[in-house]
Amino acid sequence: MNVETEPAAVGRTAGSARTQEVAWHHRHLLDVDVVTWPEIELIMRTTDEMKGVLARPIRKVPALNGRRVTTLFYEASTRTRVSFETAARNLSADVVSVATATSSVTKGESLVDTIRTLEALGAEILVMRHSVSGAPYLAAEIFGGHVLNGGDGWHAHPTQALLDLYTMRQHLAGGDLRGRKVAIVGDILHSRVARSNIWSLTAAGADLWLCGPATLLRGMDRWATAWDGGAIPGHGRFHVTSDVDAAVRDADVVMALRIQRERMQGGLLPSLREYAARFGLNAERVSLAKPEAIVMHPGPMNEGIEIAPDVATSGRAVITEQVANGVAVRMALLYLLAGAHEAAGGHEAAHEAVHVREAARAPEAIR
Amino acid sequence: MSLQSKTASRTTALGPSVGEVVERFELEKAWLVDPVSGREGPGEIVVTDGVLESVVWLEGEEASGVTDKGVVVAPGFFDLHAHFREPGFEDAETVATGAAAAAHGGYTTVAMMPNTSPALDEPGVLERIRSAARASGSPVEVLAYGAVSADRAGEQLSAMGELADAGVIGYSDDGAPVRTAKLLRSALLYAGMLGLPVVEHAEDLELTASAEANEGYVASILGLAGWPTAGEVNAVSRDLAVLADALRDEPRARLHLTHLSTTASLDLVRRAKAAGLPVTCDVTPHHLALADEWIAGARRWSWEALGPDGTSRDPWADEALTAWPYDTSLRVNPPLRTPVDAAACLAALLDGTASAVVTDHAPHTVVDKEVEFGMASNGISGIETALGVLIALVDSCRLPLARAIAALTTAPAAIVAGWPALAATAAARKRGLTEGAPADLVVFDRADRWTVTEESLRSKGKNSPFIGRELSGRVLLTIAGGRLAYEDPKGGDE
Ligand SMILES: [Zn+2]
Repeated sequence: MNVETEPAAVGRTAGSARTQEVAWHHRHLLDVDVVTWPEIELIMRTTDEMKGVLARPIRKVPALNGRRVTTLFYEASTRTRVSFETAARNLSADVVSVATATSSVTKGESLVDTIRTLEALGAEILVMRHSVSGAPYLAAEIFGGHVLNGGDGWHAHPTQALLDLYTMRQHLAGGDLRGRKVAIVGDILHSRVARSNIWSLTAAGADLWLCGPATLLRGMDRWATAWDGGAIPGHGRFHVTSDVDAAVRDADVVMALRIQRERMQGGLLPSLREYAARFGLNAERVSLAKPEAIVMHPGPMNEGIEIAPDVATSGRAVITEQVANGVAVRMALLYLLAGAHEAAGGHEAAHEAVHVREAARAPEAIR
Repeated sequence: MSLQSKTASRTTALGPSVGEVVERFELEKAWLVDPVSGREGPGEIVVTDGVLESVVWLEGEEASGVTDKGVVVAPGFFDLHAHFREPGFEDAETVATGAAAAAHGGYTTVAMMPNTSPALDEPGVLERIRSAARASGSPVEVLAYGAVSADRAGEQLSAMGELADAGVIGYSDDGAPVRTAKLLRSALLYAGMLGLPVVEHAEDLELTASAEANEGYVASILGLAGWPTAGEVNAVSRDLAVLADALRDEPRARLHLTHLSTTASLDLVRRAKAAGLPVTCDVTPHHLALADEWIAGARRWSWEALGPDGTSRDPWADEALTAWPYDTSLRVNPPLRTPVDAAACLAALLDGTASAVVTDHAPHTVVDKEVEFGMASNGISGIETALGVLIALVDSCRLPLARAIAALTTAPAAIVAGWPALAATAAARKRGLTEGAPADLVVFDRADRWTVTEESLRSKGKNSPFIGRELSGRVLLTIAGGRLAYEDPKGGDE
């Protein structure tokens, strides 16, 4: 392998003594729930390599030369789409961008038909954003290539969770989240970012706190208490609270989530003013966190609502780093997914090697 | 005609085709279940010229080797709640395919819901359904409810009196609740005057707006919008309050709550019945046997998902997720609930709160189901798998076989017998193994497992969560009103 043109041998070189050899074998990345901790570490190491690429004068490697990446966005999100497309182009992939609008009321061409069409047009890796939870699972059932979830409904946003994790590890001593307190404040109920972060941060051993008004936390307590005592292998408990001071106090990481105006029309919040006063991350609140704590936001921000402008631009804020790391993490995932395809010798073999939850999909379960 | 099966005894008959009178059928050494007399045991039956000529109970030596684990003979099943989609949605189901599916499931009488297009809100639509039933050649009896409101729009009453004259067995806006308490009160009074019930789909539409799955642990993790328990409980309390009110003016007012799914709403009905309100309810096979964890990919029976302390087990902690998540065949309204709610449905069935099991057979096309979970139509194509699901409950020793059969036969008939205008009609007749009556029965092999496939389902609706799975209790023969409704293709002479 030519080091000048390829990222360093990812998952093929022997790691340090503490990292075990692990190969990527997921055909799709739909959420982080089925990704094991060694696999997450592989993603982190691959992201390091991609950061190396991005630091070069020419930020481009031919790793995915001739491979076709299609972004299919059913929900407008310029920043996420551009991040994926930049990542794909940095790997020299051919990028096709499809933006479409849909809602449960106006049914246009079905998702299934759209994906069959894109496959016939040569799509190999499909990056998908959709407003309905679970939509990428339907796509993965019918698509012959790889599906990379760019966010589905309230359910999952795995690349965001992984870039968040990467960014946290960069800033925490030793890159280790075990025992570190992470507070996520905002609209947890409707947040795919929060849900994916629950999987990855509990797997990382973080002391995770989810915080928001009771109307936007509904149901999360059941999830938190179900995991009390770490009932799920590799996953510990997390905390759910409406007490923002308790959540932020002594935190190593404080993350604000976007609050949408629709939440007031839905009767879930009295006003944005009241939200900002009670839950917004202002300087006073953030001062409760550890002195070296970092402040994060998945964007786009409503400055003055969930985060005060001076906090967003303070030295603690790593929000622009999140954006830069997002490109590197997405490059890593595109690279790993494309490699899984090659290493396993095509779709059929890749299909057999997938994780238990994917492998469990017997033909009869395909509807 | 003769039946072959792994455990079956010798059987002989002539070989009619569907719709023809069964001239001669004999079955020796089977397990007979007669929910009218309450008797079950080894026996033999003979059908001659469409009449159940003899029912012989065997004892001693003759009965040896005959158990309730093999071939079972029961009265034909009666489904109080099915959707046959005609007129208007014939690509999802027709009266003919619905009747064929029913017969394959062991059903000989089915009551159709009126959410067709146009809605069954005037007698002309009922006539179309009846002529489709006649043209199908199937002997399965197709009954129908009329809509409560014109065009099911929840604004004004349908042609209730004319529909009664034409022969509907009650009124329902199923698919949705009767929109307002005020309209429900009028409907209960007017239907009561006609001696007919209002059949309610209990749902508070404001609490369930845009809901995708039962509000709870599974929906929280999957990021699905929650359909809260309160959405059903609130509607049931409204309906019971309005019924109590209507009864003061019209003592013949009757309310039937269909497909109840939560512990709390069944408790409300239990108390209302104890207080003497003329209310009945039913539960479905899927709410008895499945739970919301199936949407996450679990594939175990609801009772296998209960912990020793009676609480729901965690499918993630159990590593019980073995199938792909978000399978739209599991999107149903009311939604699949927790294993605890499923246990409450069973408890209600056992204590008589909900005496009947109905299928809520809701066939849909691939176009309506092969979509994103939250955009998929609600419903399970279930009339062909209901028996198999109940047999799974029987096999788990949680439901006696005779109670399962009663829930499919005498219990729905008894509910209909409580509706004044229908008390003396055929629909309310006791469904037993009665000598001298037209043969109306099902023969199934409890031990014979069959694989549910798209091809094996006679329904046009392939939206079954059991596709690819095995169920026990293969139906071998269904005779409706003395005529052949279904015969297992594996049977027949060599
Ligand atoms: Zn209904």
